[in-house]
Amino acid sequence: MAKMSGIIEINGLSFAYTPGNMVLEDMSFEVAAGTFLAIAGPNGAGKSTLLNLMCGALRSESGAIMIDGAPIASYSPRTLAAKVAVVRQEYVPIFGFSVIETVLMARTPYYGPAGFERQADRTIANEALELTDTARFASRPITSLSSGERQRVFIARALAQNSPILLLDEPTNFLDLRHQVGIYDLLKAAQLEKGKTIVAVTHDVNLAAQYCHEAVLLGTDRSCRHGRTRDVLSAEHIRTTFNVEVFAGEIGSGQFFLPLGEYAKDSTQPKDRPGKMWP
Amino acid sequence: MKTDAMSRLLTPGRLIVRTGLALVVLAAVMLACSMIGSEKVSLKAVFGGPGARATANPDYEIFVRFRLPRIVLACLVGAALACSGVVFQALLRNPLADPYILGISSGAGLGAIIAVISGLSWTLWGRSPIAVFAFAGALGTVWLVWFIGRLTGKFHVTGLLLAGVVVNAFFSAVIMFLTSIAKADQVHATIFWLMGNMAEEDFLVLWIGAGCVVGGIAALFYISPQLNALSFGPEVARSVGVDTARVRVLAFGIAAGITAIAVSLSGLIGFVGLVVPHGVRLVWGPDHRQLLPLSAVVGAIFLVLADTLARIIVAPAQLPVGVVTALVGGPFFLVLLIRYSRKVSWLR
Repeated sequence: MAKMSGIIEINGLSFAYTPGNMVLEDMSFEVAAGTFLAIAGPNGAGKSTLLNLMCGALRSESGAIMIDGAPIASYSPRTLAAKVAVVRQEYVPIFGFSVIETVLMARTPYYGPAGFERQADRTIANEALELTDTARFASRPITSLSSGERQRVFIARALAQNSPILLLDEPTNFLDLRHQVGIYDLLKAAQLEKGKTIVAVTHDVNLAAQYCHEAVLLGTDRSCRHGRTRDVLSAEHIRTTFNVEVFAGEIGSGQFFLPLGEYAKDSTQPKDRPGKMWP
Repeated sequence: MKTDAMSRLLTPGRLIVRTGLALVVLAAVMLACSMIGSEKVSLKAVFGGPGARATANPDYEIFVRFRLPRIVLACLVGAALACSGVVFQALLRNPLADPYILGISSGAGLGAIIAVISGLSWTLWGRSPIAVFAFAGALGTVWLVWFIGRLTGKFHVTGLLLAGVVVNAFFSAVIMFLTSIAKADQVHATIFWLMGNMAEEDFLVLWIGAGCVVGGIAALFYISPQLNALSFGPEVARSVGVDTARVRVLAFGIAAGITAIAVSLSGLIGFVGLVVPHGVRLVWGPDHRQLLPLSAVVGAIFLVLADTLARIIVAPAQLPVGVVTALVGGPFFLVLLIRYSRKVSWLR
């Protein structure tokens, strides 16, 4: 696939859930095709809101979001699903659909007239199962899976949409260390092998720093920084946007950050400053 | 392993075979139940035809005038309630949902009691005012609940459910008030209706009802892949490319419509719309492409059997069929629940 610039373009985007209470204000950035972008920031900075705007679940008041050269509002649900796949963090278990049934659901818009998947849909679903290493429990109900396995199944479903863009909301929430890197390895593979444009919302700056080319750092003050991960996720920026003291270290060419709280490590005595942590 | 999972998937062939087998069972149950009753009916005599005069062949008369219409009606109502239950459970993503959860029952009840009390005696296409008022009450209430639900937010499930509960409670209070000021014979007629009651219907009514119910179920089957996606939540359904607004309005409208038809034909028959979808889901899985047609057939079988019991258990008197569905359906469902919940969690 030839690389084109700006498969996602955001221009002067503003959004408020209640009038006068802006969550995002005059935000602009562009994502080139084939990029692995992290949207980082503290709780309440509007990361998930931005993601919901980018997948059409929310409509913006002002500003434009262009997906593959066309305004997002010009897409029907069906044509948008062919461009953008979403992995969400909330999941309410109901009715024990199996893993394979769940993944095949991504092909719903392409079912034949009788409402059944075609052979091509099965092949695509199979590839997604293989890529996410979920094929071995394909017939189990998703209610019986661990959260790491289930997250891989939902990524498999998103991959089975065969869309150039993949959006993820906190893909590593509630996962242990091994499963965290497992998910990011998987996303990296989808980026490199399939040329996907991946946008992951996360508050884990370390994973973002390790895996992502580019980052958008949102602050609760509606600030928005966009650029190469190394420039955006600096110790200084993290200190100010997350409002926490950090220790920044280096591994090879990558950076990592350790948050340092009031009571971290060396202090065994209660400090004489109650309530200071939440100004 | 992967081919194993693929080979277990639902295919059109499997769906046709399973639905076909279920239909064969339904036909057998219908035939057997039409033979049972306070009067013995000989199949041989029935096939002998109506005879020279109207009274010449009593077996045929009983079969065609009384047994057959009633059994066909039970099929219709059972299928409609079961499918409607499937749809409401999927739309509201709530296993406790049934066709009456959004106030259809109390709206229909209110319509019925108003018709009884006002003592109207006209008929519309052979239907008594009770049925017409119940139908209008059912649809009016669903519209009201839908409208209130819309006011609370864009298809907010919690808002919709709460609106349903409140409207239900309010209309039930009005029903109780009207019952308390009604005359004794009117009260009896109302209560019998509220408990769900089958009666012999004109063939014209049955044909119209059958056309609407079968058409509705066919339309629901058409959107069943989208219902699968919707049971993961509207956001997920949307992101895989389902036009959630359109599918929800369609499914909601059709389910409410066939429920209103069922209710206006037979009163408030409980439990079918809750038990049958769960039973079918426990045994054959949650895929709506299969769940809908099988629930329709199983619902029909269930209600034909229940109505036959209601006819014979205290013959020559009759029980309201709603009593039988609850008495039989409840324990049966519990057994199914325990058996299959254990099987599912251990073996898979």
